[in-house]
Amino acid sequence: MIPVPSSGELAIRAENDIVVARRAVRDAATQLGFGATDVTRLVTAASELARNVFKYAGRGVMRWNSMQAETRIGLELQFVDDGPGIADVNRAMEEGYSTGGGLGLGLPGARRLVDELAIHSAVGEGTTVTLKKWRRN
Amino acid sequence: MNHAAISVIKVKDTLMVTMPSDPDDSTIAALQERVLESMERHAAKGLILDISAVETLDSYFARTVTETAQMVLLMGGRTIIVGMRPAVAMTATQMGLKLNRIETALSVDRALEIVDTPPKPSGNHRQ
Repeated sequence: MIPVPSSGELAIRAENDIVVARRAVRDAATQLGFGATDVTRLVTAASELARNVFKYAGRGVMRWNSMQAETRIGLELQFVDDGPGIADVNRAMEEGYSTGGGLGLGLPGARRLVDELAIHSAVGEGTTVTLKKWRRN
Repeated sequence: MNHAAISVIKVKDTLMVTMPSDPDDSTIAALQERVLESMERHAAKGLILDISAVETLDSYFARTVTETAQMVLLMGGRTIIVGMRPAVAMTATQMGLKLNRIETALSVDRALEIVDTPPKPSGNHRQ
């Protein structure tokens, strides 16, 4: 059975929007039939990326879209900001590397929780992080 | 969400904190402050942090809990985390989150027993 397509957009402008983003992803993933652990993985990854938007850019947008390929169902999340951008994307993906005083686990940790994570960033222009996760049938 | 969502109660000589299911960053930061104040005020032996309601443990939460445990240790107490959900444990491990030096227990009863046990067993020393 294929669930109802789901999509939406949420502005990230305040610290509390990280919580709002987590709830939106939890609802979308649950609605698409993801299992409890995969819902937690998606919500946790979204929490890291929403916090990055708020912390580094101050504001941005989270978009979510259900995906369908043949019989597969998935969820795509996109985090878009026009903040300072990431000078060295490869280093940002390294565990323990942080310019923000954190543990440097956010991006590499989030990548391990999903099937795909792609970063497009240009210094002075902003950052877009897209992640995808497929439901295990 | 406001800081009132976190309550610190004292059971015997131990502080017990129950985390709400989806705390925002400032609630998590407030946890650290409230715990350290209470440690001093009650001369507590340790901290039991009940996270059985917590649905998301991300790197910020993990870092704050680890830091708090280190501060509690400096004040002479132990920190024990209780009730981590299976999905949360799997996600945290997969992400590589390290809860260094923090002890865990399956139940509050067991955590209370651990707090009562001296950190380094040294023969037949008794209080």
